[in-house]
Parts: sequence; C-alpha cells; structure tokens
Amino acid sequence: MHEADLSPDDPAFAEDATVVVSEATVWFGPNVALNEVSCSFGPGVTGLLGPNGAGKTTLMRAICGMLPLNVGTVRVGGLDPRTEREAQRALALVPEEDASPGTLSARQLVRYAAALHRVRDRAAPERALAAVDLVDVADRQVGGFSKGMLQRTKVAAALVSDPTILVLDEPLNGADPVQRVALIELFNRLGDEGRTVIVSSHVLHEVERLARRQIVLVHGRLAAAGDHRAIRGAIAGRPRQVLLRSSDPRRLAAALVGVEAVSGVGIDGDDVVVSSLRALDLAYALPGLARRAGVRLLEIRPLDDSLESAFRELVR
Amino acid sequence: MTLPAAERALPGPPLAAFLYTLRVCVPPKRAVLLALPCAGALLFGLLARTVDDPTSAGGFNAISRALFGLILPLACLVVGDAVLGAEVRSGTFGLTWLSPVRFSTIVVARWSAGWLIAAGALTPAMALSALIAGVPGAVGPIALATIGGTAAYLALFVLLGVAFRRAVWWSLAIVLLGERLLGAVLPGIAQFSPQWLATMVYAGLGPGADELEREGMPTGGAAVGRLVMLTVVFVLLAVWRMRRLRLTGGRE
Repeated sequence: MHEADLSPDDPAFAEDATVVVSEATVWFGPNVALNEVSCSFGPGVTGLLGPNGAGKTTLMRAICGMLPLNVGTVRVGGLDPRTEREAQRALALVPEEDASPGTLSARQLVRYAAALHRVRDRAAPERALAAVDLVDVADRQVGGFSKGMLQRTKVAAALVSDPTILVLDEPLNGADPVQRVALIELFNRLGDEGRTVIVSSHVLHEVERLARRQIVLVHGRLAAAGDHRAIRGAIAGRPRQVLLRSSDPRRLAAALVGVEAVSGVGIDGDDVVVSSLRALDLAYALPGLARRAGVRLLEIRPLDDSLESAFRELVR
Repeated sequence: MTLPAAERALPGPPLAAFLYTLRVCVPPKRAVLLALPCAGALLFGLLARTVDDPTSAGGFNAISRALFGLILPLACLVVGDAVLGAEVRSGTFGLTWLSPVRFSTIVVARWSAGWLIAAGALTPAMALSALIAGVPGAVGPIALATIGGTAAYLALFVLLGVAFRRAVWWSLAIVLLGERLLGAVLPGIAQFSPQWLATMVYAGLGPGADELEREGMPTGGAAVGRLVMLTVVFVLLAVWRMRRLRLTGGRE
C-alpha cells in the first residue's frame, strides 16, 4: 500500500477500518475488472457507487474472498477472507443475482445459513425473517418469490449469523417503494449499531439515502470517495450537453451564443449541441429565446444525462 | 410428535450441508434424468436373456460391460454434476461457500449425499437387472461393485465440478474417451478408472465372471480397496481445488 493512501485525510480510507483493500486488481482474460483500487471500510454504512460494469460486484466478491486478486490484498478484520475461513464468521454477502436454490423455502434457506454459521439460538432464523417481514410467507419456496421477496430472503439469510460486516450488492433491486424504505431503515440501523455495512448501487439518490460516505468506482478504478455532498457536487459541476432540433439551426445557434447559461454551442448537421453548466436555467430560457429568434423548437434531448456519463466525467 | 420447523434445533454444519445436498441438488428434472439409466439397467437385464450363451450368468456377464461402462458413469454424472458443479455454475454455491465451514467438510458432505443418492437409486436397479437376467447369485457382487463404483465416480465428478466450469463436458470426455476408449487398450489408465475397477469387483466375485478379468488389474476385494483409495484421492483433490475456486456468479 502506498504511504499516501494511509493518510487520514484521504476520503477513500475510513477510521477504525474493518475492511482494508490495497491495490486490488482483478482481470478476467483481457478485461480488467478492478484496477489498483485502494480503500477501506469502517463501522457505519458506506455506499459503493458506480455504473453497471464499474467493478462493484467484483470488489464485493473480492472482499468476501470469493474471487482471488491478481494483484493486491484484502483484509477483513486483519484476516485474508480468501484463505482464512474464520474471516467468514464476521462476513455476510447479499449477492445481486438470484443465487438461491428455488426448491427451498425461505425458512429452510435461512436455517441453512444459520446452521453453517453454527448459530446456537434456534430463534435466530425467525428473528431474521421478521426483520425483513417475511415470516408469513417463510414456508413458501423461494423459486416462486418476486425479486423483492427474494432480495429480502437473502438479507434474512445474511443477517441470521449476526455478522459484523455486511456486504450488500444492489439490495434494493426489485423491492417496491414500501420495502425500499423498510430496507433502508434496516441497513441504517445496522450501521448505527456499529456494523460495517457496504451497499452498492448504480442509483445515486438511492445511495445518498443509505450512506453518508460513498466510494465511486468507474471502469474498475476508484473515481471518487467521501461525503455524499462532495460526490454530488463533483457530478453536478460538470457541463451537460443538450441536443436541440429546430426549424433553423443556424439562427438558433447564433441566438444561444449570448446566453449566460450556455458554455458552448456547436452545429452537427441539422442539430445544435449546447454545453451548459446550468442545464436547468437553459431549459427555462430556451422557449423564450426560440420565440424571439423566430425559430420553432422540434426536439430537446439531453445527450449525456445518464448516471453513467456523470460517473465517467469524474474520472476525466 | 414433531416440532414445527421454526422450533427445531439447528443441525451442525456437516449435517446441514449433507441435508441441503439431499434436498436441493437433485431437483425433479435431475431425478428424471437419473431414472433413465436406472431404467436402462433393467432393460439390459432383459437383454441378457436374449444373449446367445449356454448359461444365464454368461449372458449377464456379457451385458455387465455395458452396465459398468455406460449405466454406472451416466447415473453418477447426473448426480455428481448436480451436487457441486451445477451449483458453482448457477451461483448458488456462494451460499455455502460464504460460511466458516471448512472446505473438507463441504466436499465430504456433498460427496456423501451424492453417493447416497446415486447408490440408492442405481444399486437396486443393478441388482434387479441381475434378477431379471435370471442370475440371483450376481445380486450381491453387482451391488457391491455398484456401491464402490458410485463412490469413486461421485468423488471424481465432484472434483471436476470444482475444477472446470464446463464440468459436464470434461466428465463425458473422461468417461467416454479416457476410460472407455483409452482404458480399453491401455491397462495403465484402467488401473485408475472407476468403471474398470467396478467391473473388476464384479469379475472377482460374480458367478463365472472371471472371463471379465483383465491381466494386471486387481479383482474382487482388492478392486474394492483400489476404488476406496481412488475415492479418497479424488476427495482430497477436490478439497485442494476448492481453495482456488473463483466464484464469479451465475451470469459471468
């Protein structure tokens, strides 16, 4: 690990870290899934943010020891989760994929997880099922569950061993709004209890509700880390591109040049492409501007409004 | 009176892993697939009656090559792939892997449950096949050969399940090309082949089955010993290989 990485001021590193990732690099054939990622996670909820394919799942699997690193190390409570099975006592993973045997009931699945972790308290599975509001359907086979119910079953199976480190890969996928609120409250409560909770998502506002501290991955690299306001500020501070289709692109482009909210104007065939740091102001100004210029607006389309492009901006 | 599921004591990890394998790893489709070779064994029993041989035992000996060379490995492959390889591929194995349970416990639990299923399904079918063929004296030897053969094959297929993502193809290649084709001409390969060793168990113990013996290969009890040794080696290799397993999930 680089000395600079250990700086207490580096937002990628948590105080009282329970999970430490150093220079983690994983590749699958020619594809680099994780590229020299160094960060740490401590008590409380930490959001792992990034577009699809950013390496979130790979990092989570590496933290749980399911994948070997090609370069670098992962330590969970000082142990290597890949080779030291005792590390699994503290860990629990809720995978994103529907990785549950469909022929088991929710109760059987949770009891199986409890038995593997040598849970002595026979009431623990029922408590875990109750925590995710699944007691009433616990005897139904998980193969017939909705995605949201399956997610909650996996959360119950993860909670039953009372883990101190909980790794949740897109746990809100498929959950309805009511379930989302309940799960977010549950994860926050677990974080407040002093557990290390790592939650991944590709939805920025979802992670903001879950975690104050966030780590952003893009293309397998650590793109940003820190307080959620800093992350949002970094994303909001980038210029956005908007495509305008109109009856007279040249006249519209000329009219746009003097607008304060516009930082750049270009013509691409019949389209006008506008760059703006204040996209909302531009949206308000456009109708009046077009009317005054005598141009009819046919289409207004953001070119890079996806979260993926916002993340990409962070690593430029 | 049985307690409701919610109030029952939790089993220890080895028993939990064993029971999980019994419950989960042979779903209805696999059970149907397993029933096919078992039905095949019965058909071969009928076929033995049509073999042109002065004795019933002679006819059954002739078809026993197919029982050990085809029925035994296919039935074991259906179960052996299900108990581990299929779970690794689908991503459900993570549930078991992500626990403090030792790899050796996981492998032994999976293997023993798979063995119980395979031997439990195939041994009666093989024994019945001997009865159908009119050779009651072959029931014991063929049952012992089947139990020994399924033990070794299950261990082999568990090993292949953790070693290769395309475990089924590797398994078929080893059985058909390695054991069946090469093993038939190269005694060195047959020495470590579950199907040849199972055949040798029967050759040593079955009525008039010494015609199946191959030079240089152990027969009867010695072949059982070799199968046990092979099983232990395969299980140990599977434990070693599990430490290097990359659990990338079902979608990758």
